[in-house]
Amino acid sequence: MIRLFTLSSFVALFTASLLHAQDMPLSDVLIDGEGWQLVSEGHKFTEGPAVDAAGNFYFVDVPSDTIFKHDVESGKTSTFVQGAGKCSGLMFGPDGRLYASQNANRKVIAIDAKGTIEVIAEELGANDLVVDSKGGIYSTDPKEHQVWYVAPGGEKRVVAKDIETPNGIILWGDQSTLVVADTRGKHLWAFRVEADGSLTQRSPIYTCRLPLGETASGADGMTVDSQGRLYVATALGVQMFDSQCRISGVILKPQQAFLSNVVFAGKDLDVMFVTTADKVYRRKTKATGLRYTSKK
Amino acid sequence: MLKIKSLCLFATLLCAIVVSSSYAQQQDYKTGPDAERKAGVPQGTVTKGVWDKSEIYPGTVRDYWVYVPAQYDAKKPACLMVFQDGGGFVNEKGHTRVPVVFDNLIHTKEMPVTIGVFINPGVVPAANAKDKPRRNRSFEYDSLGDQYVRFLLEEILADIGKSYNITSDPAGRATCGNSSGGICAFTAAWERPDSFGKVVSHIGSFTNIRGGHVYPALLRKTEKKPIRVFLQDGENDLDNLHGNWPLSNKQMAAALKFSGYDYKFVLGTGSHSARHGGAIFPDTMRWLWSDYTK
Repeated sequence: MIRLFTLSSFVALFTASLLHAQDMPLSDVLIDGEGWQLVSEGHKFTEGPAVDAAGNFYFVDVPSDTIFKHDVESGKTSTFVQGAGKCSGLMFGPDGRLYASQNANRKVIAIDAKGTIEVIAEELGANDLVVDSKGGIYSTDPKEHQVWYVAPGGEKRVVAKDIETPNGIILWGDQSTLVVADTRGKHLWAFRVEADGSLTQRSPIYTCRLPLGETASGADGMTVDSQGRLYVATALGVQMFDSQCRISGVILKPQQAFLSNVVFAGKDLDVMFVTTADKVYRRKTKATGLRYTSKK
Repeated sequence: MLKIKSLCLFATLLCAIVVSSSYAQQQDYKTGPDAERKAGVPQGTVTKGVWDKSEIYPGTVRDYWVYVPAQYDAKKPACLMVFQDGGGFVNEKGHTRVPVVFDNLIHTKEMPVTIGVFINPGVVPAANAKDKPRRNRSFEYDSLGDQYVRFLLEEILADIGKSYNITSDPAGRATCGNSSGGICAFTAAWERPDSFGKVVSHIGSFTNIRGGHVYPALLRKTEKKPIRVFLQDGENDLDNLHGNWPLSNKQMAAALKFSGYDYKFVLGTGSHSARHGGAIFPDTMRWLWSDYTK
């Protein structure tokens, strides 16, 4: 009798959980007792978190013009490339090279495993970038309030305009939607990605939480996970959005300093890394990051 | 060992009691005779359309349906009721069966001749047909502000108004929805009480999905607007990261009472389901339209 009762209770619970399945609270991602752990310190301004095919984590200290590699197996952090041109945005492309945006030089470059640099595009705004599975690149141009697209092959053009301060940039997992963070606004802007790389159907569907009394979110770098969640580094912390672009909550910053960017790395892509001023932190999560793959 | 076993049994029992107490109390709500077809009652027509030319929600595509009662006379302005998540409401076998209820109650003159407009939320199809469309529902329904009601008035209703004579009297114009569609219905009237004077919200999401938890506070400190409000919720409705639905609806009802609104609040035992609101919908219509004698 009791067993029957319990079974029906579990059925009721299961049914209830199905009803709730669309909700994605922070507790779906954060692990009790797994707080931020220091990865690296002593830098000036860290940015550009990136993950390679093996799950190793990379970041850049912009003022010292040094790109670092953090080996996830050994836990050691070492210099990957020195003097790559004060890059700020980093992301690995489908060819295994590290693509990087040189904001001051207005260039996008690619760096191979040996540190050899190739210029991919010049004379474009290049604060942050995202590389799609075909090697196409979107890069933000905060000064000119626009977004560039560099097609595979290197041809470049402006694909979005009139965003106050476009900064972080990311594609959804299926690469059908591109999201641009506007540092001085409260929204992240979503666009439909057309077959030729154009951006259409702009919409402010992600609304960030703002520091009380402020009008700017401070939104910067972003990443996405396998469940369609989006994470954005902001003044308040890492803001997490569900797959319907509704805010799920704010993950507190590891230190009271500027938070620039976020990425999932590690062998299983389940470790969240953030870059914040002089330091880099990580924490294990229940989420799984993703890499863009070509469509069949 | 025995101690552990009995402890486990106790825990299981406790769990079962807690779970059963929160779920077993739920009444089984069912639609009644007013939601069944009756002999001799004239049937209205339902016409389906696709709206894919929105400028207010660029790139969105959605289905919509227009119900026109058999008693409609183009010489007399008809009342209007707009339903969010319209596909569920227009379904004659669905949770609320609006065309059947409207046919029956218009026939018995328990509600006025009313054109029903049933609108689905928009989706932005992906450029590649193999990819999933971007769902715009939460953005349209949960956001505060006048964007959605402008979409209704300036786009779909402006177009339907070319074909039908619909009253401009807000007391003859209602809007209705479930969950996020419920708060959306309230927002439409709150922003444009000159266009919508009646609201029906079932299991309304007056919670912090996109800031909608502020309405009770706004209601208490804003001069009363000419809106008649019907709210339904269930004690077993959601309690999640966005808020607690029964508490939020109780707060709405208390704020409507405080500010002297013409409102009705029905709190049942249901969960986040359309069943209770659908079951009582005929009575809800009787109450909603009882002040409308034109």
